[in-house]
Amino acid sequence: MADTDDIRHFFSKSIEDNMDALYGVALRMARTPADAEDLVADAVAKAWAAFATLDDRSRFRPWIFRILRNCFISDYRRKSVRPAESAYQEQPADHEDDGLAALLTQQSDEFLNWWAEPEREFFNDILGEAIMSAIDDLPEAFKMPILLTNVEGLTYDEAAEALGVPCGTIRSRMKRGRTLLQKALWQQAHDAELAVCNDMQESGG
Amino acid sequence: MNKTDDKSDSVDIGCLQAIDALYAYLDGELDDPASVTSFEHHMQHCRSCYSRAEIEGLLTARLRETARSQAPEALQARLRKLMDDF
Repeated sequence: MADTDDIRHFFSKSIEDNMDALYGVALRMARTPADAEDLVADAVAKAWAAFATLDDRSRFRPWIFRILRNCFISDYRRKSVRPAESAYQEQPADHEDDGLAALLTQQSDEFLNWWAEPEREFFNDILGEAIMSAIDDLPEAFKMPILLTNVEGLTYDEAAEALGVPCGTIRSRMKRGRTLLQKALWQQAHDAELAVCNDMQESGG
Repeated sequence: MNKTDDKSDSVDIGCLQAIDALYAYLDGELDDPASVTSFEHHMQHCRSCYSRAEIEGLLTARLRETARSQAPEALQARLRKLMDDF
């Protein structure tokens, strides 16, 4: 009985500790709060049923996120407002990474110039909304590693376990995902700035 | 100060390599000490990469602050009830 109590206590505490993170990730996958709540509840029920398969309790976080994601893929993706994505194909060519890095060096200066402007404070106001929109628009292969590591604090190793991919894949997807994110944010800021300029011109400013 | 020409230092890396390592470094995932040394050395000498690293750090903080959610009370209650029934 002591063992059962110990298991229940550990499980309950671990879920309590991760409730916000589970809901946050579920919300970005399922998109609607109602579906996200159902998804988390399903994942918690399935996790309890499968608790005996968790060999190492220190790996609870990647384990529960993997169950959450599997629940989404098997039961919720069909209901999602988004069309199903085809599986992301890893790009094996190293030269593509070089091309990506080259793009980053070019993009960096433009982004830096924008960031350094005094008007940046104005754009900070819209930045929060822009970030969420940019995150939601990312392909799932890039969105999930960013959410799990940058937002929820999992290590690359834990994110790899949660997503069922090698750690090197997480590292590579983080680079690509963050680049895409920054590019989208820069584009949104640029468009917003143009819109403000156009408004000022139209009003004779 | 024997070494005055930092460019010739053997640990120096280029911008492409630095950017390649940037996210892993910022995320605390660059665990090879030699890579960390090379990256930090480059950051000390390249204003553009240093600024970029600063921006990425700010964006990560903003991302964390913006994208985090709190489980609704109804969900919290639902999960606690669910676990009580286990």
